[in-house]
Amino acid sequence: MHSNNYTLMFTAILTIVLGFFVSTADSSLKEMREKNIEADIRKNILSSLGFEELEQEPWTNEKVDKMFSQSIVGFVIDSAGNVIEDKDPRNIDPEIDYNQFPIYKRVEDGIIEGYSIPISGKGLWGTMYGYFSIEPDGATAKGITFYSHIETPGLGAEVDKPWFQNNYPGKKFVDPAGNLIGIQAIKGGVDKTSPDLYHQVDGISGATMTTKGLNSFLLKDLKNYDPYLSKIRNSRSI
Amino acid sequence: MALLNKKSKKAFSDPLMSNNPISLQVLGICSALAVTVKMDTAVVMSLAVIFVLAVSNTVIAILRKMIPGKVRIIVQLSVIASMVVFIDLVLKAYFYDMSKQLSVFVGLIITNCIIMGRAEAFAMQNGPWRSLLDGIGNGIGYGGILIGVAFFRELLGSGTFYGYQVIPDSFYAAGYENMGLMVLSPGAFIILGLIVWAQRLIANIEEE
Repeated sequence: MHSNNYTLMFTAILTIVLGFFVSTADSSLKEMREKNIEADIRKNILSSLGFEELEQEPWTNEKVDKMFSQSIVGFVIDSAGNVIEDKDPRNIDPEIDYNQFPIYKRVEDGIIEGYSIPISGKGLWGTMYGYFSIEPDGATAKGITFYSHIETPGLGAEVDKPWFQNNYPGKKFVDPAGNLIGIQAIKGGVDKTSPDLYHQVDGISGATMTTKGLNSFLLKDLKNYDPYLSKIRNSRSI
Repeated sequence: MALLNKKSKKAFSDPLMSNNPISLQVLGICSALAVTVKMDTAVVMSLAVIFVLAVSNTVIAILRKMIPGKVRIIVQLSVIASMVVFIDLVLKAYFYDMSKQLSVFVGLIITNCIIMGRAEAFAMQNGPWRSLLDGIGNGIGYGGILIGVAFFRELLGSGTFYGYQVIPDSFYAAGYENMGLMVLSPGAFIILGLIVWAQRLIANIEEE
């Protein structure tokens, strides 16, 4: 039988050795990990704006960076919908700049093809993060993607699946009078004859809380961008 | 001592068939159900478990005479947990998409009963070389079943093999449909049950 002192000594040394091992591994791999996370976010912005990743040709980090710098312009707006000059979306500190919002637009040959905004909020088990993209008219959904969530596989995690995401493009998040109403995922599916069909999509069976959360944080996030988007809508209707 | 004497050989080969951790001891089936929808996740998961089992078994076997009996489980867990965190970090750095798909299941290797079980039942009593073989053997025994389950689930559920379509389009045109059940967890239960049955039949094992 080992003495108490020996036991304490042994566990202390073991903790130091293993702690040293894990923290060395963490700090030496940190740079690559952060690069991957950033590339993953860029991937999301790209696919929300209509870029498609083919199975035969997976996107490498370099390819993502190239496409991103060629077609995507990131900028920052304030709560009144004005563009803040010389501010990079990556430099937003959520603690200080809580009323500044990043937005990305896809520009091909000088023509704007769409806007993409980050969305996030509570699902059932935790915070979901994704991007919501908007047609150049500032009123129609172009797409929706998620890059991080911890919803139940087969239920809430269906938000990742094409069948759910493909319902969004073409839906309007403003009513005919120009007021922001968001897009609602409807429990049990949409009623195809309803006059509200233009801002409704099929919900996910068995994932009421996830879809409720999504509906409300999508609306909340769109509110932040509405001053900017309504300017786009007004400039187009004149 | 020969590199592979009879006892060492047994340590390596037993868990492959006659004492397989999943199909005979029915340990660690949680992850076997969760990551077997596709072959690629099953393969990466198997490699991760083989690595963790081999290293933790060896380290614990080296330390076995020094580990105080009172805290041995905690010591085993710390060694295992460190290896799992290490694997998780490597996956995040080099195989980010894969690590996203495996999500929590890499971290859950820590609680995989096979690893704790081998550390406590084997590595605490045997030398490092034999424990290493035992770890690799059990890892391969686990991985073999995992990949087997994934093979059937992917083939029947998605019509693909390692991401490549193997069911010809003409089958789908003729009305063949992928089996949705195989993509869900119950599909894994059914396949695993059939594998356990087939294996016990082949290995000629009877319940006492």
